[in-house]
Parts: sequence; C-alpha cells; structure tokens
Amino acid sequence: MPATSTRAPRRGSLARRERIFAYAMLAPAVVAVFALIAYPMYLIVAISFREGKSLNFLALGSRPFGLGNYQSVLTDPATWHSVYVSFAYTFGTIVPAFLLGLATAVLLNRVFPLRRWLRSLILLPWAVPGVMVSIVFLWLFDASFGVVNYLLRTAGLISADVSWYTNESTALVAVIIPTIWKSYPFFTLTLLAAMQSIPANLYEAAAVDGAAAWERFLLITWPGIRGQATLALVLNGLWAFREFDIIYAATGGGPSKATETLGIRAYNEAFGYFYMGRAAVIGVLMLAIALVAVLLARRQLRKEFF
Amino acid sequence: MRATRRPLLWTAGVALLCALLLFPFYWMVVTAVLPTSQVLAREPTLIPSLADVSLRAFAAAFERKPLATWLANSLIVTVGATSISLVIAALAGYSLSRFRTRAQELTGLTLLLTKMLPGSLIVIPFFIMASTFHLIDSLFALMLANAAVGVPFATWLLKGFFDGIPRDLEQAAMIDGCSHLSAFVFIIVPLARPGLAACAIYLAILSWSDFVFAKTLINDQAHWTITTGMVSFIGEHGIDWSALMAAGVISLAPMVVLFLLLEPFLVSGMTSGSQK
Repeated sequence: MPATSTRAPRRGSLARRERIFAYAMLAPAVVAVFALIAYPMYLIVAISFREGKSLNFLALGSRPFGLGNYQSVLTDPATWHSVYVSFAYTFGTIVPAFLLGLATAVLLNRVFPLRRWLRSLILLPWAVPGVMVSIVFLWLFDASFGVVNYLLRTAGLISADVSWYTNESTALVAVIIPTIWKSYPFFTLTLLAAMQSIPANLYEAAAVDGAAAWERFLLITWPGIRGQATLALVLNGLWAFREFDIIYAATGGGPSKATETLGIRAYNEAFGYFYMGRAAVIGVLMLAIALVAVLLARRQLRKEFF
Repeated sequence: MRATRRPLLWTAGVALLCALLLFPFYWMVVTAVLPTSQVLAREPTLIPSLADVSLRAFAAAFERKPLATWLANSLIVTVGATSISLVIAALAGYSLSRFRTRAQELTGLTLLLTKMLPGSLIVIPFFIMASTFHLIDSLFALMLANAAVGVPFATWLLKGFFDGIPRDLEQAAMIDGCSHLSAFVFIIVPLARPGLAACAIYLAILSWSDFVFAKTLINDQAHWTITTGMVSFIGEHGIDWSALMAAGVISLAPMVVLFLLLEPFLVSGMTSGSQK
C-alpha cells in the first residue's frame, strides 16, 4: 500500500514536469511565430482596410476604415493583368523546370563514373541567390555584348540584336529563363530521390519481358514517382508564384508592367507609391490564390507533412 | 539504381549536359578575368587564352565599391540569423518530435502555413514595425526578419531529424536521474549534430541570399548587404561588367562551398524521407 501511494504522486508530478518541459521548449518558437509572423499578418489585414496614401506609416491607424482598397484594387485592370503575369510566370517556369529536372534525374539515376561529382554540379544553381541569378542572366542576355545574342547571331537565328529585358514582348521570357535555371535542381533532387526508392527488380523483370526504354519509363518509373512529382510541382509552383528577387533585380516589373507579377506589384504599391493599404489587399489576394492551390493539392501535401 | 551498359559514354553525356547547365558560372568567371576590351566585344572569346587572364577586375570591384563592408554585413546578418533560428528551431523541433498535444499540432501547422508567405508581402509589416521601434538601418532587425523565415523552415527539418533518434536513449538517461533538459543537451544534441550542421548550412544559404528584407529595412549604404550592393551596380550608366562579375564570384564562393558540404546530406535526406 505505501508503495503505490508514494509512486502515484511521483508519476503525476513527472508527467506535469514533462508537460511543462514540452511547452517551455516550444515557447521561443511560439513567441517568434507570434511576433514575427502572426502579428505582421494581422497588420497586413488591418492595413488592407485603411484607405488612402500615407508617407507616415505610424499614422495608418488614424486613416479612414473601409473596403475602399478592396474595391479600387479588385476593379483595377492592372491587378488582373498582374494575376495573368503571375500565372504565366509560374507555369512558364515550372513546366520547363520540371522537364529539365526529370531529364537530369533520369540521367543521374544510373551507376556511372564521377556520378557523385556530376550530381553536385547539376544541383549547384539551387544555391545561387536569386539576385545573383538575375545579374548573371542580365549579362548573358545583354543586348549589345551579351553572349546569347552573339550565339544567336552566329547561328543565324536573329538578324538584329534583341533587347531581351527592355522589350515588352521578350521581358517575361527573359525573367522566366533565369527562374527555370534556379528552380530545376529542386525537381532533380526530389525526382531522383523518388526514383531511387523504386525497386530495381521491377526493371529487371521488364528487361526480361523485353520492354523498351520508353515502356519502362511509362510503366515503372512514372507510376513510382507520380506522387512526389505532383508534390514537387505544387511546392515549386508556390515558390515561383511568390518569387520576387529575380524579377525585381532584372526589370523591377517593367517594361510597361510586362513582368509585374502580384508580388512585384504589391511591393511597388507599398514602397514606390506608398499605398500601403492597396499593397496589403494585393498581398491578401496572393495568399487567397496560394491557399486555393494548397487546398486543391491537400491530399499530396498531407501525405508529405503529417 | 541501375547499371549502364556503357558507363563511360553515360558519364560523357551527363558531363556535356552539366557543362551546358553550368555555362552561366563559366561565363561569369570568364568575364571577371578578361580585360574590358575583350568583354565588351561584339564577338566575345568563348575560350580565352590564359595569357589574357588577369585579376584586375577583382581589385577594381573592391576599389570602386565598399564590397568588404557589404560582405562583412552579410556575414554578420547570416551568422546572427542562423544562430537565432537554429537555437529556437532545435528546441521547438525536439518538442514537436517528442510530444503531441493540441498546442504542438497547432504550432506545427502554423509553422507549415508560414512557408507559403511571400517575402514581398511580409516585408510591409516588418517595415512598419522596424519604423515604430526605430530599427531601420539596424542589422539586428535584419537578423530577426531572416529568422522569421528561417525558424518555421528549420523547425520542420529538425523535427524530422529528432524523429529518427530513438527515444530509448534519453529515457535511459532520465531513469538514471538526468533531467529531460540535460538529456536533450548532452545526449540528443550531440547525436543530432549532422542534422544541425545541415540545417545551419541551409539557413545560412537562405540568409545570405536575402534581398527583399535588406533592400527595404536598410537605407544607409554603409549597412547594405552584398545582395543590395550587387543590385546597385545594375542601375548605373554603363555597367562595369568585369567588376560586377568579379564581385559576383566573390559573393558566390562561400555559397558554393557551403552547398558542396550540404549536398550529400540533401540527397540522402530526401531519399530516406521518401522511403518512409
């Protein structure tokens, strides 16, 4: 009897100590999330209801409250142009990047000499800061002295120099290309990992049955990586949708808004024209679009994260 | 993974593709080491002769711009943001890995959702907050802004690591009279060292790359980071491409080294994750 009566409270206090420990460990993260994410998000929503233009950010709270920003932003054709540019940029990036990632992953999914080194090198663009990616491609695609125009001229594909970044019809392509370059390694990495989890004996059996290379890919490789491929497309799509550095450093949204995605537009409204409220509404719109994409892909996402 | 019938041919093919994909790096270095007369040419030399190579552009970059200051600022912010994020994330990641209560799940979900936040959006409230607390031009504010992005990301990464460490280890220590905190510090942290290192490298690459926070929260040129500094070359009339590419090579070198250290882990981490 005395043994159980002493053990019970000790166990109870241990459980309580453990609970306190669990929360104490989590506390700094909770504080960080509240101060650096939750409160800023609250500010965005609060600002989106404050009308007018202000150079004095601290007096935002005294500005009139209303839905005026929502009305003016959502009825502005420039907003819907930015929605279009954002989608064109996102899909224009992730489709070629996916194909490039898939091709490199298929190539790397073999045993051959120097494989480890070549894999590192192929993944390297991932580590380049977005701003640096932009600067290098500005130089490669420079109108007068860029090596790309030189090669195209030499190959006879163009007769006059193309001003990639200052021409309205080429600017979007000129910011998409560096984005593809920065984002394909993510696909290589995830697809390669998925391919390596496919049992090798499936391929051996297919070889015995005399399946051609494309049949092996369609019937074994693709079903094995489909889940990971969808997930990677969603994650990379969300990343491209909110990408800022590459476009801002290259064009700032120009020429004549040809590359003005929602992210660039929000930034220009806030720090170019000081319409904080309008910028916040665009931010809310971006989050809403991202949320719809996440909800559509929630089954794949849940499999990965929970 | 399968063997190939002609492994050397395969190597040659992959190497060729790799050379094409890495051409931007090659061209950056070539531009940095060649004299301006060959750089600003209608017919650039694709393969320069070694006799033309000089490091003058590197000296010019340091002379014309306060590159050393910008690199030092980037280093301070990167080290600060990485340390703050890593400590907070290690504690939270462990808590999320070992305990599952409603609060844990809620925090976990919030951290996950924040991965969707665009930097160009969150920078607006950061700017307002920094103005309120007179923290514009403060490298400390920049560290906190980078940590806001780093913490959610690192917490999820580290939770995965801690999940892979058996609970028996710290439980054995606790039965021997060790407190849970010292079990964490003296048993779990040393075991998680490779994971923590990988996470730190990842965080460092993120902070070093940051542009939107540095551009918005820092006005004073003496407090710029290397990314804002590099972009300031672009607006100039008649860009000095050799100096810019030289500065680019210098700013990229630490990222390339960090990446080569991180890469084996990235691949193995991804592989083990998908085999779960």
